[in-house]
Amino acid sequence: MDFINSLNPIFWIKIITLVVIAFYVIFTFVVFTQTKVMAEILHLPSAQTVIKIISIIHLIFAISLFIGALVIL
Amino acid sequence: MADIFVAPKHITVPNDSEDMHAFSSFCQNPKGVRFQTQKSHETIILFLRSHFITNVSWIALSFILIALPIIILIFLPNFGIDFLSSETLIRFTTIYVLFYYLMVFSYVFISFLHWFYNVFIVTSERVVDIDYSDIVVHNIAITNLVQIEDVHYTQSGFIPTLFNYGDLFAQTAGEMENFEALSIPKPREATHIIGDLIGKGPSAG
Repeated sequence: MDFINSLNPIFWIKIITLVVIAFYVIFTFVVFTQTKVMAEILHLPSAQTVIKIISIIHLIFAISLFIGALVIL
Repeated sequence: MADIFVAPKHITVPNDSEDMHAFSSFCQNPKGVRFQTQKSHETIILFLRSHFITNVSWIALSFILIALPIIILIFLPNFGIDFLSSETLIRFTTIYVLFYYLMVFSYVFISFLHWFYNVFIVTSERVVDIDYSDIVVHNIAITNLVQIEDVHYTQSGFIPTLFNYGDLFAQTAGEMENFEALSIPKPREATHIIGDLIGKGPSAG
């Protein structure tokens, strides 16, 4: 109990922020896999590659944010 | 005398294939479009998805969401609240603002995917309805053209009439699922195309 009380509230805010961002990373990964599945179900030549690239960028941004939050906060 | 063998009715597909761009909502004989269970001899006659104008609501909301933090950060110091007063606050504000914009980006991307992958395809044999209703839910319904009994559309309201879009419904025989293509452009034309195909193509058996 003393251990919990001795910790700064900023520390807990940081932990909660990191957990939320971690869930967000999982969510972006689900989006990425879904776009892959949809690309297999329906082949649309016009924008398929762009969507794939955007979903990868989306995932990379989310991972970068998590790492950034880990370092900065 | 009963027919011993009845040759399947062949649907003549026009040769004039249309190039489909990313935002196409109505395309006859689209070039290069394929779906997973498409047979080698099966050709896509009609490709439909919701009219692009139906995206205006989420696009407008996205612009508001993009502008919101800028407005908040400009006006909050007037109320004596400053998120940039100490180094710790700057760090947290930076991460939260970046996280917020990433979520807005997700919202835009998912809304686009929802529109992009909600398609209704009519082939020389079947009707394929691909629903991408949620990020973790997608539903694919397929029926043979011979099983479609009725096709009709509704177009009501000022904006649908102005932009010529409406809802198309294809009713199938018996207990089978009915098909719907919502907010599609040129619903009358699409209904006529499908109506001409009803009962044609190979049977389910």
